[in-house]
Amino acid sequence: MSEYDVIVLGGGPGGYLAAERLGHAGRKVLLVEKEKLGGVCLNVGCIPTKTLLNSAKQYVHAKEAAKFGVNATGLSFDWGVMQSWKTEVVDKLVGAIALTEKKLGVEVVQAEGRFLGPGRVEVRGVAHQAAAVILATGSSPVMPPIPGARDNPKVVDSTGLLSAPAVPERLCVIGGGVIGIEFAGLFAALGSKVEIVEMMDEIVPFMDKEQAPLLRRAMKDVAFRLGCKVERIEGGKVVYRTKEGTEASPFDGAEADLVLMAVGRRPNLENWGAKESGLDFGPKGVTVDDRMRTNLSGVWAVGDLTGRSLLAHSAYRMAEVAVADILAASGAAEPEAGNRMRYDAIPWVVYGMPEAAGVGLTEEEAKRRGIEIKKASLPLRVSGRFAAENGFAAPGSVKVIAEAASGRILGIHVLGAYASEIIWGGAALIEQELRVVDVQQLVFPHPTVSEAIREAVWAL
Amino acid sequence: MAHVLIMPRQGNTVESCIIVRWSAREGDSVSADRSVCEVETDKASFDVPAGSGGILLKILRAEGDDVPVLEPIAVIGAAGEDWRAALGSAAQAPGGATTAPEGGAAAPAAADSGTAAAGAAAPNAGDARAATGPEAPKESPGVSPRARRLAAQTAVDASALQGSGPGGRVLERDVAAAAAPLTAAARASAAATGAPLPSGGSALGGRIGVADLGAAKPASTPVKATAAGSPASPEIGPYSDTPLKGIRKIIADRMRASLAQSAQLSFDVSADAERISAVRARFKASDKALGLSEVTIGDLVLFAVSRVLPAFPMVNAHLVDGTLRTFERVHLGLAVDTPRGLMVPVIRNADRLSLAGISAEAKRLAAACLGGSISPDELSGSTFTVSNLGAFGIESFTPVLNAPEVGVLGVCTITKTFVPGPDGAPSLRSRMGLSLTVDHQVVDGAPAARIIKAIADAIGDIDLYLMK
Repeated sequence: MSEYDVIVLGGGPGGYLAAERLGHAGRKVLLVEKEKLGGVCLNVGCIPTKTLLNSAKQYVHAKEAAKFGVNATGLSFDWGVMQSWKTEVVDKLVGAIALTEKKLGVEVVQAEGRFLGPGRVEVRGVAHQAAAVILATGSSPVMPPIPGARDNPKVVDSTGLLSAPAVPERLCVIGGGVIGIEFAGLFAALGSKVEIVEMMDEIVPFMDKEQAPLLRRAMKDVAFRLGCKVERIEGGKVVYRTKEGTEASPFDGAEADLVLMAVGRRPNLENWGAKESGLDFGPKGVTVDDRMRTNLSGVWAVGDLTGRSLLAHSAYRMAEVAVADILAASGAAEPEAGNRMRYDAIPWVVYGMPEAAGVGLTEEEAKRRGIEIKKASLPLRVSGRFAAENGFAAPGSVKVIAEAASGRILGIHVLGAYASEIIWGGAALIEQELRVVDVQQLVFPHPTVSEAIREAVWAL
Repeated sequence: MAHVLIMPRQGNTVESCIIVRWSAREGDSVSADRSVCEVETDKASFDVPAGSGGILLKILRAEGDDVPVLEPIAVIGAAGEDWRAALGSAAQAPGGATTAPEGGAAAPAAADSGTAAAGAAAPNAGDARAATGPEAPKESPGVSPRARRLAAQTAVDASALQGSGPGGRVLERDVAAAAAPLTAAARASAAATGAPLPSGGSALGGRIGVADLGAAKPASTPVKATAAGSPASPEIGPYSDTPLKGIRKIIADRMRASLAQSAQLSFDVSADAERISAVRARFKASDKALGLSEVTIGDLVLFAVSRVLPAFPMVNAHLVDGTLRTFERVHLGLAVDTPRGLMVPVIRNADRLSLAGISAEAKRLAAACLGGSISPDELSGSTFTVSNLGAFGIESFTPVLNAPEVGVLGVCTITKTFVPGPDGAPSLRSRMGLSLTVDHQVVDGAPAARIIKAIADAIGDIDLYLMK
């Protein structure tokens, strides 16, 4: 007889949601988290950045309000208040998770856990037993071996930049991915001079190749150095080599106050027993099947640790899939039809200024897979609400991609305000494999930005 | 007055026939006894004579159409005559050219076609297919109890399904396929490609998605139909595709259904063939007036089987829907190889026929099958089947049950082999291979062994049985 039904190692989105779902199902659960509940997402990721971005947007909106007939004078912002608001939001949400776990009877322990093998997790020198183990140890920012990057007080990762004591005058961002774009947008809005150095020829690799340049152009206060490889960092001076082979530095050679290293994240596989336990993993993460099962019996892995999709909402879904499988495996529940992890309709959002979101295939990916498509792109101003709130020149675009023969919706990509709130609908269309003719029969609320999707579908 | 040619009735059991080909064209002058088209039932094919001399004014049904019996298929009349008028009057006077069908099944169809054709002013009236109206509702082959139960659970209208069981009977699997939730795109794709549905899907909520329809081939790149003989790829070389239709299709469906719905188990033995060979030799040399000179080894085997089976009613039987129906009389099915494919005419009451009678009937039926003049009524109702591949040198095989029968005997070639004589010394004997397939659902191994042994003994002692 095991002490626990399930032990969850890691209290980020994957881990805490798995514990919640299991607690709700009446399982006896131990949730082991070495730091705060909520993981990177809540403490040093999604939520704090959105909090600060909100402040920055308020500031920008106030500055631009005159064209809408609102005059604001004497505008200024207070980084300290922004930071304390961020802290308040994070703390309250962390507290809410702890309360939820408690209500559901989940035992939470703040300590380092060590996975000993199937059914066994050591916490503070005590080996606990459980019928099932869910591994959810997350990921960490990659610090590449660029000369001068390590032990350089000016080089920070996203966590470090979040708690910067002041808004930097010059911020150099290495990496034009989601994190780089978000921080660049945030600090540019607050008056920093921002330059992004990106090795690839375009920012945000999974973005539609028509919309990524639109996003870049919309972020007019940010300079983009594309196709440039960082050679070394000297204090706050980042030296990169262009495609043409010439050496150059952002800010005309002036030192940046801070350098954000945002070249990616890698799964946390160290220091908790992954290697010793015989768990199967590669450099990208722990190997799992579509029910999040690892190679070890009774051991599941979810979230960034699997390296399959490094997004909090992917971790949520993985957690639910793993929990459903655990409940079915223990005979407590009928296996739910189709309760498998599917990666084809996971939406993503880039909180730039403006935001962008997408789901499904891009035109380029469809071509790579040999799928013949039809497509339609429209400016977001086809939505009355978008035009009214953003102006007719505001950057905004919607693009819908469908399979040519069947009309099945394959991809939806939106650049512009509210993209993040709309995109789940695109995921629903793709998950259900609806066709153009099916979507044409859906009613979209008016006036909303989402109507642009409907217009694009009719334009196909 | 124009003559409306109707799909003739082919025996009492045939509900519809497929038009294989028209041998006359519209505008051809035909005599009353000239064949204008060839039609095929599920068992045989026939020529349909014009029935009345004149000009073939209108062909109403196309080649490949499955036409209920007694429905109009063509109009023959005088040059310039309006064929629509003839159809109109036929509809108004069902007692005339289109005699009222005896069964109820075809009646609505006849009325429908009459009505549709009578509406000659309708835009599509010139189109033969449109003018014939909807197909006759065939007599329902039924819904199995399990299918009915699942249909009730899953809110599927089982009566609307095309069943995959015998005669189109709706089985549980048909309901399961209909009840399977599909995504919109998968449903459209499956309908377009006819891809079989898997039992479960990997899309949202377990729905069957496009990727589950096999091959994960995007619908946008359908496999192109390749004309016969043109090389698809260097590795495969030229090939030709022949869609299964007519008798071939029926055989395919029957054989698959037979194997799918029964537990077939085969047994091989060899019978002493010394006496049967000797008897056959004597018959061959006998006075033709006796009527036995044409008797073959195969006829003698049929005779032996007809005399043994009454002692084993469990294999002279049909198994239908969990009920075993045993027969007093032996109606022997006789597998006949024809250029169109396998046909199985029936020697009725074989247990009451003399050897000469069996022999004569077997020859008549085989000739009728080969000549295409066999009546459909002579192709149904067998209670046990014999398939003789001895002439091809086959030494044993596993005959497939002629459903719903539960036994089939394969007759193999006669070989010479050494067997121990009564004194233990090897003696060269003629042996005939016999292969019996039974449905293990109703016939266990030991009774099957007894049956095949009894048949082998009867063949071995055929002279005694002939004197019985």
